[in-house]
Amino acid sequence: MASYIIDKKDLKILLDKFLKEFKVYGPIKPGLDSSVDEIKSIDDLHLEYKSTIISPKKFFLPPKDTLFEFKIQKGNYEIKEIVNDEKFILFGLHPCDVNAILKLDEFFSGKFKDKYYQNRRKNSIIIALNCTQPGENSFCKSMNAGPFLYKGYDILLTDIDTKYLIEIGSDKGKKIIQGLKLNIASKNDLLKKEKKCKLANKKIKKILDPNWLPKLAEENLDHEIWIDLGERGGVAGSFPCLSCGSCSLVCPTCYCYDIYDTVDLSLKNGSRVRELDSCQLLEYGQVALGGNFRKDRKDRIRHWMFCKFGAAAGSKNSSCVGCGRCIRVCPSKIDITKVAKSLWRKK
Amino acid sequence: MAKKPKIGVFKLTGCAGCQMEIFRMEDEFLDLIKLFDISYWKMAKRDNDDKDLDIALIEGGISTPWEIEEIKCIRKNTKFLVAFGDCAIGGCIPSIRNWIPQMESEEIVYPDPSKICSTKVHGIGEYVKVDAELKGCPPHRKTILELLKSALLKIRPRLRQHPVCVECKFQGNACLITSNKLPCMGPVISGGCGAICPTLGRICEGCFGPMSNPNASALANIFRDIGLNDEDIKRKFRKYSGMSPEFRLEAGH
Ligand code: SF4
Ligand code: SF4
Ligand code: SF4
Repeated sequence: MASYIIDKKDLKILLDKFLKEFKVYGPIKPGLDSSVDEIKSIDDLHLEYKSTIISPKKFFLPPKDTLFEFKIQKGNYEIKEIVNDEKFILFGLHPCDVNAILKLDEFFSGKFKDKYYQNRRKNSIIIALNCTQPGENSFCKSMNAGPFLYKGYDILLTDIDTKYLIEIGSDKGKKIIQGLKLNIASKNDLLKKEKKCKLANKKIKKILDPNWLPKLAEENLDHEIWIDLGERGGVAGSFPCLSCGSCSLVCPTCYCYDIYDTVDLSLKNGSRVRELDSCQLLEYGQVALGGNFRKDRKDRIRHWMFCKFGAAAGSKNSSCVGCGRCIRVCPSKIDITKVAKSLWRKK
Repeated sequence: MAKKPKIGVFKLTGCAGCQMEIFRMEDEFLDLIKLFDISYWKMAKRDNDDKDLDIALIEGGISTPWEIEEIKCIRKNTKFLVAFGDCAIGGCIPSIRNWIPQMESEEIVYPDPSKICSTKVHGIGEYVKVDAELKGCPPHRKTILELLKSALLKIRPRLRQHPVCVECKFQGNACLITSNKLPCMGPVISGGCGAICPTLGRICEGCFGPMSNPNASALANIFRDIGLNDEDIKRKFRKYSGMSPEFRLEAGH
């Protein structure tokens, strides 16, 4: 499909067109601790952001989501599905986060189709932004998930100095820019993108070979590193894990959740709620009568890392996209790439 | 209609804030008295009966010999005993005085301490069997309602003891430890509050007590790393739950 360009100062025209038809969410702050929230005008949009605290998975798998409401009347149940039909645009997502959504797609569209997820996904339009300023914790390049994007977008923007290059990735993308007078991108513009891509790649300092990660996990179930991480010492300059769950809650590919019912004081009306959960938390592995599959902290941090390495449920592919959020958010300075490297070295 | 369950609300050594939290449930209060027979609650009514209670909510810890007798008596008269709030669970703020010699602390407060007869402050679990705990200083109304509704439905209440960090992330906050180098207690403290303090940019002080299986020593080391001295750290762990087994060492036992 054709590529276009737009002057940075004209971005408002593009956004205003979108705002007429859709809810638009985008980065609302600069820096590492940004957040993807509602954008009402061009002044709210901070495309120069580096990362967000919470990943955009919140738009498809909200931390707390009411699935349906129920009523008991004269012994009969009445159920009302809660369907969210809002059509929305995610504006300015980085490649790692788009790749993470593609991984979530796989999970929620497998043998069991999750209609709540799929519904939101169907209603979403992704306008991605290639990442020209990867942070010190990013290792997306190693995980094949950045800093530039090659799939999964409806529209893709690249910052080429005074302009944005606009590439179309789907019919949805084509449709939403219909009617706008955009200039076709020149060969030179496309070359500029290449250059930017090379520069961004060079900025990434965290490198890892993802191919050995699942194997590394399989072979090291009883490694002492897990005791260091869970109880004493820490690994490669970190403190031991606190089981605070932050790493998995901010992770764009962690999808585990808990489901429970609540009722009001009539004890007749209630709702079923899905809430984000984390395997780092003690209660996650708890079953009836107080049994627990992962009572020890070392087993929980091990499980989480193995899942990210790609070894969980017999998988062979890492579920991590290298966004670096878990590293930034960990109060104990635990760095999953350093743990992987320590395991590798101590083999 | 089946007989309404009988509830008693009792106060031992505490500030009455937990009981106030029941009053503050303005939207639910009228529904609650339809569902329960409030048999004993001195703060709310004149005539009180403490016999044959289905549920007793105990606010406050134990700090006198009389309270030891009282809690044993309540236990005998109650089917389901709830430690209602941090004081009842582990002594909470009143237990800060456990770290000062008894006489010395009495002299600070009373002009004539010879009339005072007190013991070290403990949670009620030190003396009687406790059936459920409602964490918090005071507990959040949502958790109070969850417990009462579950009692009526005879199901297990969903009272998760995950750390404050979980709710802090649900709120989308940046972490005060990693982004601001502030000594937040969130990683070892039970949630249930909705992470109100970190959401307002203030560190978690620890008012819901220890989470399930906290790593207190790791957090103490993190605090040392961001510049707190040993005395500061002790004070932080003593403030709300110094008597808890989970924080024993960090509180300086
Ligand atoms: S494991 Fe860490 S680096 Fe990998 S996707 Fe999750 S948050 Fe990002
Ligand atoms: S963020 Fe760090 S301390 Fe918290 S659970 Fe994850 S690895 Fe452990
Ligand atoms: S600010 Fe406090 S409660 Fe929030 S994530 Fe950080 S340590 Fe946890």
